[in-house]
Amino acid sequence: MNRFSIWRLLPFAVLIIFTAPLLIVLSTLFGSYSENWFHLYEFVLADYIISSLILVIGVSILVLFLGTVTAWTVTTYNFKGKKVFEWALILPLAIPPYILAYTFTGLFDPFGDANNFIRSVFNLKDSTIIFPNVRNIYGAIVVFAFTLYPYVYLVSRSAFINQSKSMQEAARLLGLNQLEVFYKLALPLIRPAAIGGMMLVIMETLSDFGAVDHFAIQTFTTGIFRTWYGLYDLQTAMQLASLLLLTVGIFYFIERSSRGDGIYTSNNSTFSPNEEVNLTGLKALTAFLVCFIPIFIGFLLPIVELSLWAYEVNLGFFNNKFLENSINTLSLSFLTGLICAALALLINFSIRYKPSILVGRFSALLSIGYAVPGLILAVGMVQLLVYLDNLAFSGFDIVLTGSLLGLVLAYVIKTYALANSSIESGYERISYSLDDSSKLLGSTSWNMLGNIHIPLLKTSILTSVLLVMSDVVKELPATLILRPFNFETLAVSTYIYASEERMIQAAAPAIAIVLIGLIPIVLLSKMIRSSRPIENRE
Amino acid sequence: MKKIQLILLLSFFGHVIMSNEVNVYTSRHYDSDDLLYKEFTQETGIKVNIISGKGSALLQRLKSEGSNSPADIFFTVDAGNLWKVQKEGLFQSIQSDLVLSSVPENLRGPNDEWTAIAKRARVIFYNPENVSEEMIKDIDYEDLSNPEWRNKIVVRSSSNMYNQSLVASLISNLGEEQTESWANKLVSNFARKPQGNDRSQIIAVANGEADLAIANSYYIGIMLSGSAGEEQLVAAKKVKMAFPNQKNRGTHINISGAGVLKSAPNQKNANRFLEFLISKKVQKTMVDKSYEYPILESIRPSDEIASFGTDFKEDQISVKSFGELNPSAVRLMDRSGWK
Repeated sequence: MNRFSIWRLLPFAVLIIFTAPLLIVLSTLFGSYSENWFHLYEFVLADYIISSLILVIGVSILVLFLGTVTAWTVTTYNFKGKKVFEWALILPLAIPPYILAYTFTGLFDPFGDANNFIRSVFNLKDSTIIFPNVRNIYGAIVVFAFTLYPYVYLVSRSAFINQSKSMQEAARLLGLNQLEVFYKLALPLIRPAAIGGMMLVIMETLSDFGAVDHFAIQTFTTGIFRTWYGLYDLQTAMQLASLLLLTVGIFYFIERSSRGDGIYTSNNSTFSPNEEVNLTGLKALTAFLVCFIPIFIGFLLPIVELSLWAYEVNLGFFNNKFLENSINTLSLSFLTGLICAALALLINFSIRYKPSILVGRFSALLSIGYAVPGLILAVGMVQLLVYLDNLAFSGFDIVLTGSLLGLVLAYVIKTYALANSSIESGYERISYSLDDSSKLLGSTSWNMLGNIHIPLLKTSILTSVLLVMSDVVKELPATLILRPFNFETLAVSTYIYASEERMIQAAAPAIAIVLIGLIPIVLLSKMIRSSRPIENRE
Repeated sequence: MKKIQLILLLSFFGHVIMSNEVNVYTSRHYDSDDLLYKEFTQETGIKVNIISGKGSALLQRLKSEGSNSPADIFFTVDAGNLWKVQKEGLFQSIQSDLVLSSVPENLRGPNDEWTAIAKRARVIFYNPENVSEEMIKDIDYEDLSNPEWRNKIVVRSSSNMYNQSLVASLISNLGEEQTESWANKLVSNFARKPQGNDRSQIIAVANGEADLAIANSYYIGIMLSGSAGEEQLVAAKKVKMAFPNQKNRGTHINISGAGVLKSAPNQKNANRFLEFLISKKVQKTMVDKSYEYPILESIRPSDEIASFGTDFKEDQISVKSFGELNPSAVRLMDRSGWK
């Protein structure tokens, strides 16, 4: 065995470059602590922690419920609309949480459109307020859950599809009814997948600033920015961000180790797919509503409200500049998607090929980048780029800082977790015996990767590119300080308007984000439609 | 196609130096400003390159970039950030007689590090149906803590920099202790948990959810213009604007301002850009579009804004106080439970 195998070195080299900005953020923990810590500790830190906790717990429960129940419904039952729901259930991924938050307040505020509408229909007094106030932590839980549940839905669905019929038949024979099969057997079996999806949701919830800021909830993230912008204390803000990161890191490790050494790859030869149960009448209606409500709240409602807003102002937004911004957005997200997928593939392969605890740990660090608020990550990135510039190009002007390269790097770190989760779960389905056979037959590592793994992982790779793309399209506040001069994306325009709550003006670019975000989503949906094992078993 | 590829490639590796340009880091993002920049290019042939973002984030990038920074101009809507750049010593003195002769001294940095470009006032909005002229006449910020306004005041979150500047100005004028007791009482006068932006406060007052709203002056201009939709136009017509502290120190104002950076590669163009911004023509377009107050006395604010009165007394507190006292203001609001 060659100790200096490329599969040991490569992931390290890549990881060091890619984790550097995270390490720069974390390194503030070893710096000095300002007296603002006393203030934070005494007056606000407890609030930050408690609301973040409530938010995470609430979102997790709701997301788990929405994601698994919808996935179970479309995989086990046959009812009207099911074929559409199967792919439409991921559409809310195209809606950034902050945009749903804005449309929620636009609709449900005491004088929002929904309240006004009901009042005018039923001729009620102005003082009658029908819908509950959404500008609170419960509103935020709903917003995050209905935009992020597709992460759990996606993994749960493919896990349910891969569950064998024989197992469920045995359960039915032992006297479990359909519901019991769901929560006693099917659900526990997809635990690793569902929790993996939930980790993504938790990290995205924790790093969000737009939605919680809009609802005026004091979470850890709003605290980070308040400390930076208001107390003028970036050091303390980065220390707070580091604590957030470490917390997520701990969760991540617990989740990893709770999977234990159990290997979830299955031998496909005895696999036989489940037969779907036909539903009619009330049961079919229930199934329909179970799937329709998440899509309605997470996708249709914001689209309708945004369209109404956009209609109210001129549509002059859709011009040449819009085209340019769209191309910028698409190419940036595509590039990030490719790099993330390639990186995730290489790292997961090397972990499998040459298991190393160190690389495993390091790659976990990469995944927690998803939990860093984009702007904080960008600050670490600027420092890294300036350092590299001074190192390599001293005497020249700034080369890397304010380059697209820095921007892409930042987004790779931010979204790597998405690519990794997809490729990792793809790898979990490839039996280790395949690797062993190919090693026995003398194939090289590159051979194994190129000829065996990549063809088997085709769907996972594509999924990871598309997931990353859909995320980069909608979430770009870091772009604001990393971008080159005059480089605009759609999210930049939306973010700028939205951060000043000029939602009516933000509506047009927001719709554009959703439309462009729909491209990867629709491709994903297409894959979902054709991913039924019954129709195309290879 | 080839050309596009080349440009893409070049932009991938950073900023391409071109001879006749000015590089602006700005936290103002108004569409109307973009049009002005285009006009500047047409007039002078100098290309305007823009990076916009939050003031604090841009300042951080500026600091990291150090003497290699390509930035010529730092343009911000927040006096506190202006002071921070000044304190870091990142500005050079403005080298333009035109700017120095037209902008009043109190609207420039102590050593001409920056100049104000436009002003905004933080005022009180009320609905005349619910609040009598008697009650609102001669109102001071200090009066907002009086028990007569219990559960009747709306204002946005204390994370907002305009609230932070207002409280900083009160600390500067009244001292920390008195301001804190004021803030404690103000919080118990809130009609609801602070939420939404300045405009949702104005709408709340228009709809009778509260009696008084603290908000920036220009928002009413945007609402009245109709560009923000019918609902806001209707709401805006119901409310009136009161300028606090007219009998004493004057109403709290904040500024948009800009300065030339020490490391500016295009120093001449930068000064020309500032001259352009304070020219009469641009000032007029700017205040007509953004509904701010002009810094030149010869210019009249937009009709929407002028209808509420133009000759009000302004608090002359220095930008230095904003910057220095901002962290104290935030801590004070945390202690008082102003969410």
